[in-house]
Amino acid sequence: MLQTIIRKYWIPLKPYYTQVYQEIWIGMGLMSFIIYKIRSADKRSKALKGSSPAPAHGHH
Amino acid sequence: MNENLFASFITPTLMGLPIIILIIAFPNILFPSPNRLINNRLVSFQQWLIQLVLKQMMTMHNLKGRTWSLMLISLIMFIGSTNLLGLLPHSFTPTTQLSMNLGMAIPLWAGAVITGFRHKTKASLAHFLPQGTPIPLIPMLVIIETISLFIQPMALAVRLTANITAGHLLMHLIGGATLVLTSISTPTAMITFIILVLLTVLEFAVALIQAYVFTLLVSLYLHDNT
Repeated sequence: MLQTIIRKYWIPLKPYYTQVYQEIWIGMGLMSFIIYKIRSADKRSKALKGSSPAPAHGHH
Repeated sequence: MNENLFASFITPTLMGLPIIILIIAFPNILFPSPNRLINNRLVSFQQWLIQLVLKQMMTMHNLKGRTWSLMLISLIMFIGSTNLLGLLPHSFTPTTQLSMNLGMAIPLWAGAVITGFRHKTKASLAHFLPQGTPIPLIPMLVIIETISLFIQPMALAVRLTANITAGHLLMHLIGGATLVLTSISTPTAMITFIILVLLTVLEFAVALIQAYVFTLLVSLYLHDNT
């Protein structure tokens, strides 16, 4: 199956993936970085909300 | 009512498995790859359409820009087919999800901008200051141009999401209204039904237009940068 994938997609599209789309790969790296940041912020806020069930304004 | 309205925008899962992947991959089988010189009717018709779009879209680009033809044509085919398939009743449209549209917009926009900075650095930086601005306005205008540059991927994604989502929501609402009105007052229901038909025609147009606009803007950003 891997050989079919290589024969059908990688070999005909090799110049695209290696030369033309270089900047798009960088853009995809940027996008994955943004996704990572959003997910980690979400996880952090969920963990914070879960670990401190007391209301935030009742401490004064 | 609220639950019903937005239920069609939930990412579909079948017994815990994300079938969204199958839904995104589905339009692929509607475009068979041509493997002869003269193909059957469906493939010939698609080839003719693709050539029409290709010529219209890629004429303005230079050699470097035309290396992106495959990407741009794939983009418009995907968005167009996904939007049109979403007009079927009870179907799920992946392009209603902001996550997917951002996933399409950010790499393509970043690719175009980085191409510009890499190959024509001075010209790319010069885009931040339009020609003929009075000197006192220069700092503010550079800030404004920077903001407008970084808003481009957001605008691309949100435009597509909002248009398709709004269209689907309107059809839900007006369809629901038509259904309820049939038992109350039939002439009003007829009018609402005509509105629904017109809206459906509009949605067909919007599906195609939004695909075109998305791709055109990406190609414009590319043109600025090659």
